[in-house]
Amino acid sequence: MIIVSLLLVLLAILGAPLFAIIATSAMVGFHNNDIELMTMALELMSIANTPVLTAIPLFTFAGYVLSESNAPQRLVRLTNALFGWMPGGLALVCLAACAFFTAFTGASGVTIIALGAILYPALKQDGYGDRFNLGLVTSSGSLGLLFAPSLPLILYGVVADVSIDDLFRAGILPGLVMLVMLGGYSIWVNRHNRRPMGAFSIREVGAALREAIWELPLPIVVLGGIYSGFFAVSEAAAITALYVFVVEVMINREIPLRELPRIVRDSMVLVGGILMILGVSLASTYYMIDTEVPQKLLGMVADLVSSPLSFLVLLLIFLLILGAILDIFSAIMLVVPLILPIAANFGVNEVHLGIVFLAAMQLGYLTPPVGLNLFIASYRFEKPIMHVYSATFPFLVILMLSVILITFWPDLSLVFL
Amino acid sequence: MKRALEKLERAGRFAENTALVVLLGTMIVVAVFQIVNRQLLGSMFAMPWADELVRFIVLWLAMVGSIAACRDNKHIRIDAITHVLSGTVVTWIKIVVDVFAAVVCAVIGWQAFRLVREEVSWGDYVMGDVPLWLAHAVVPLAFFLICYQFLVRVLKLAYSIFRPEAGEASA
Repeated sequence: MIIVSLLLVLLAILGAPLFAIIATSAMVGFHNNDIELMTMALELMSIANTPVLTAIPLFTFAGYVLSESNAPQRLVRLTNALFGWMPGGLALVCLAACAFFTAFTGASGVTIIALGAILYPALKQDGYGDRFNLGLVTSSGSLGLLFAPSLPLILYGVVADVSIDDLFRAGILPGLVMLVMLGGYSIWVNRHNRRPMGAFSIREVGAALREAIWELPLPIVVLGGIYSGFFAVSEAAAITALYVFVVEVMINREIPLRELPRIVRDSMVLVGGILMILGVSLASTYYMIDTEVPQKLLGMVADLVSSPLSFLVLLLIFLLILGAILDIFSAIMLVVPLILPIAANFGVNEVHLGIVFLAAMQLGYLTPPVGLNLFIASYRFEKPIMHVYSATFPFLVILMLSVILITFWPDLSLVFL
Repeated sequence: MKRALEKLERAGRFAENTALVVLLGTMIVVAVFQIVNRQLLGSMFAMPWADELVRFIVLWLAMVGSIAACRDNKHIRIDAITHVLSGTVVTWIKIVVDVFAAVVCAVIGWQAFRLVREEVSWGDYVMGDVPLWLAHAVVPLAFFLICYQFLVRVLKLAYSIFRPEAGEASA
């Protein structure tokens, strides 16, 4: 069994598809415990038994359509009209626009490609240093993970069987903390290169609003609908998908119909990749629960730590390492079922656990060696990867501080519940 | 031979795209109409099958999306090794992990096939009058196709080692 595990770890590091790794470990477990191998197929098919999963293809599609249209430009113009006049204005614009866009497009790396391409040259033109810009844009690419309706939040809700509405509410303040800390750092770093403060123009705000008139109802309907409880998450997703399609393809006509199959394919490729891992993870979770793996883990952890506080410390260290190795989606599906019972044992609220989990995994986008955003930024802005590492490092430190704050201040997450 | 393979590749891609567009389109229309029906029309239309249909479309999208992900080489993996090593070693590593993935998919496909065969004898129905086994048949089918995709890529990779000038453009 140990040899098999080591072999699987080796194959994973060599780049075998993760779903195949997880499926194998589950099936080997089934075989050794006389569980019928058909259980694997049964668990995969149970994807069709989880109503809230419908939100995943719908939001992903909407996000891809938005990022292929000119919505990113309009979003940047509007944010710039609102915040651009402040000191460090454009940096704040970058943070706010990226957070908003990531929440709506599900944190799959498209933010850097869609928004970074506009913001990176604009920051340079505005006189910000190149290192700062690179770090800012790279780390902004996964900001907004904690805001509704981001895919990782939904996925955590599904896997942990926690109310997604609760998670959406819980993410607000921790997400804002991250924004404020990064914003404060951006202003502080640029305190010496003062530029004349831009003028706030109500006319420009009006023009930017008019330009984005068709997209404006989207956050209001979706966020308002979800937070007020008028729509279920999957309903909001369906409306978003249809609305985005109608606006960008039929009204704004920024996406020609012949491009649509490609966009559908690109977005569903991501969905297929995620749901495949979900399916095989369900099987592996079934096996682990059946053989009481969480209880055994709990026994080990209980020997190490005694208080909720020391548990959180251990959890945080574990998650930071995990985030450096695994992407956020796989990590949620694979690890959450294991740590959930342990956290409950130490009295950690499952909603708070979700926020901590996602916040820590967000750092994983930025940690060498495999952080997704680092590669996307290196590729997109044609910079050596080592250069991106070092440019992102100060932002990583700030985000790390915010994650520590979020971890040890549960009320930040739980105040709206 | 090569021409025939390219044709097959294009046909496969077209079939996947068509299936994905039809599935996603149906899903959006049915899901939105359900909301309109309930909120605005006072549930004028009885649509007892709609919830189930939308849920099964998620499964079908997941499976077809997975086939497409395999063709586009977009399945989630830890791809650190390609950033560290280069040259023929990487190609050999890719061959090993893809053979592994193909075998795993064949096993899952076979288990899913066994399950579906059993479901035929259960005689269960979903969405009113659709046999359950038919709704589930996409799973074994998808895994066999994914297995085939991995094998095709292994062949292309092997070919690129022994005939370097042919390149590995699509692998």
